Amino acid sequence: MSSTQGLLRDTFVRAGVTGRLHAVDIDTGADVDFGADQPVVTASVHKLCLLVTLHQRAAAGALDLTEQVECPADLRTPGPTGLSAMLDPVRMSLRDIAFLMMAVSDNTAADLLLARVGLDAVNATTAALGLDRTHATHTFGELLATMKEDAGPGGAQALTDPHVIARLRALDPARGNHSTPRDMTRLLAAVWRDEACAPPHGPALRRLLGLQVWPHRMASGFPFDDVHVAGKTGSLPTLRNEVGVVEYPDGGRYAVAVFTRAASTAAILPAADAVIGTASRIAVDALRAQTGRAARGVTG
Amino acid sequence: MAVAEESHFGRAAARLGTAQPPLSQRIQRLERELGVRLFERNSRQVTITKGGMLLLDEARELLARAEALMATSRRIRDGDAGLLRAALPPDIAGETVAEILADFRRRHADVELELHELSTSEQLARFASHDLDVGLIHHPCDVTGLGLGPVLRRELGVLLPRDAPAAALGEVPLSALADHDLILFPRANAPALHDDLLTTCARNGYTPAAIRHGQGPSFIRGLIRSAGSVAFRPRETRSADGAVDAPADDPEIVWRPLAGAPLALRSSVAWPQGRSDAAVTAFADATTHAMWKTAAVTTDLPSRPVHLRPAAEYYL
Repeated sequence: MSSTQGLLRDTFVRAGVTGRLHAVDIDTGADVDFGADQPVVTASVHKLCLLVTLHQRAAAGALDLTEQVECPADLRTPGPTGLSAMLDPVRMSLRDIAFLMMAVSDNTAADLLLARVGLDAVNATTAALGLDRTHATHTFGELLATMKEDAGPGGAQALTDPHVIARLRALDPARGNHSTPRDMTRLLAAVWRDEACAPPHGPALRRLLGLQVWPHRMASGFPFDDVHVAGKTGSLPTLRNEVGVVEYPDGGRYAVAVFTRAASTAAILPAADAVIGTASRIAVDALRAQTGRAARGVTG
Repeated sequence: MAVAEESHFGRAAARLGTAQPPLSQRIQRLERELGVRLFERNSRQVTITKGGMLLLDEARELLARAEALMATSRRIRDGDAGLLRAALPPDIAGETVAEILADFRRRHADVELELHELSTSEQLARFASHDLDVGLIHHPCDVTGLGLGPVLRRELGVLLPRDAPAAALGEVPLSALADHDLILFPRANAPALHDDLLTTCARNGYTPAAIRHGQGPSFIRGLIRSAGSVAFRPRETRSADGAVDAPADDPEIVWRPLAGAPLALRSSVAWPQGRSDAAVTAFADATTHAMWKTAAVTTDLPSRPVHLRPAAEYYL
């Protein structure tokens, strides 16, 4: 495993990021650990915890996923996608709101669901799954509000100032929604084993994770038509994360969590996005080699 | 603070190298002393209360001061004079180094200064391993856990062969360098700065056919003279009259400003947050002043517009 560690270290360094990774073979428990127990800021990755909570509440009969919710035009959490970017009043079901939250990381959708289930329920869900180091303390609107406050009047341009980056509360795991790579792979494995939610909710969760539109992070490491990648990204200034599950046609399935922090403050850093895929692939190849599955084979 | 970060007494205790019961008792004692409930506890985890969150900042500051006190004591203990381990990057001018040393001596004659020539990456690694007290780093870099002095911006111009067509221009657009290879410091010195410089070159129409890595001034001059390559170098203060200085003793190489000043070196004095003391402050001040005095430093300029794309997931 030490060559995998070296490879991961070099790969993260080349991409100009500090990286933390945990990857686990969902069926054997074999894992790759590269800073897997470091506390990390989850950012939008926490939407996965919220989605699991929503489905657990539905399974318990506490809410109906087809229930219609009003989203007035003047109550939107800032964001560049989905309801956050739309201008007019919308009415849609809880499960379609969940779709927007997962497919395009819609911040308004997430806060609508959070208002429905509550932060405490999200924390109860993660605690019950044994994610001892995962905790949510704020909504997405509250997170963005601290960023706006810390960045000051300069807006997005201020985010290239090292002093601004150094003082962003949003980047401090101790102050906000946080987890560890190991906790996130544990959550994904529970979702894939139907332990987080029994059918039909388990499959519904996995469907939504598979509908995420972003191709530039984890999925970019697996340019194979027969390999399925499902995941949820998370991003904040200098932070790029994704947690997901990679499934091979031979039945191999791997939960992977990658959290990075870039040295550069540039908003657009393709190499820092792509390294999440490259590192995931290195870890998955190592796990597949361990179990005798072809590292890069067509089908095992 | 460890409990806040770990959300768990057991793990916080492990991190602090103590056992859970005494840590738990100390937190309870602290809560009694302060009269504020700091944490909510349940069977699985502890979470910081709103009150605890409000006190977190001040607690960090207090701890930082305590660590600074320890750092100073350690230095005093280590020798009569005490010792400050400091670093400057390889690209700093000799004149600036001399000014920093002289100024530091005036401010803090009783502390022995151990000065190293280290790249940004090397400095960050030594900050992390507690082998460096203060240094001058180039942005952008991962500033997690660092205290920073003001950002000092040095505009970059280009050194090029005197007979290159672009040398005839008063100000050289980056796109006019297209036929020249670029000599740049090794990427490992400061990977993010290296990439940022190349990205800005590309953005302005200069994608060098080859990058040659080098940093020694003689090596760079050799490559410019014999291979027709170009290199970036900060503007010198002395050229305020516009008479641009290249290496004055080198008839074959000239320095020209870049049109629109697209490139700059941005540096700050940096130290591990919470480990600064009077000597660190003196070095930081001496370096900042010396840079202002001997190099053509300006304050950081507002950057170009930033367009966040939807995949950024946040919006400001």
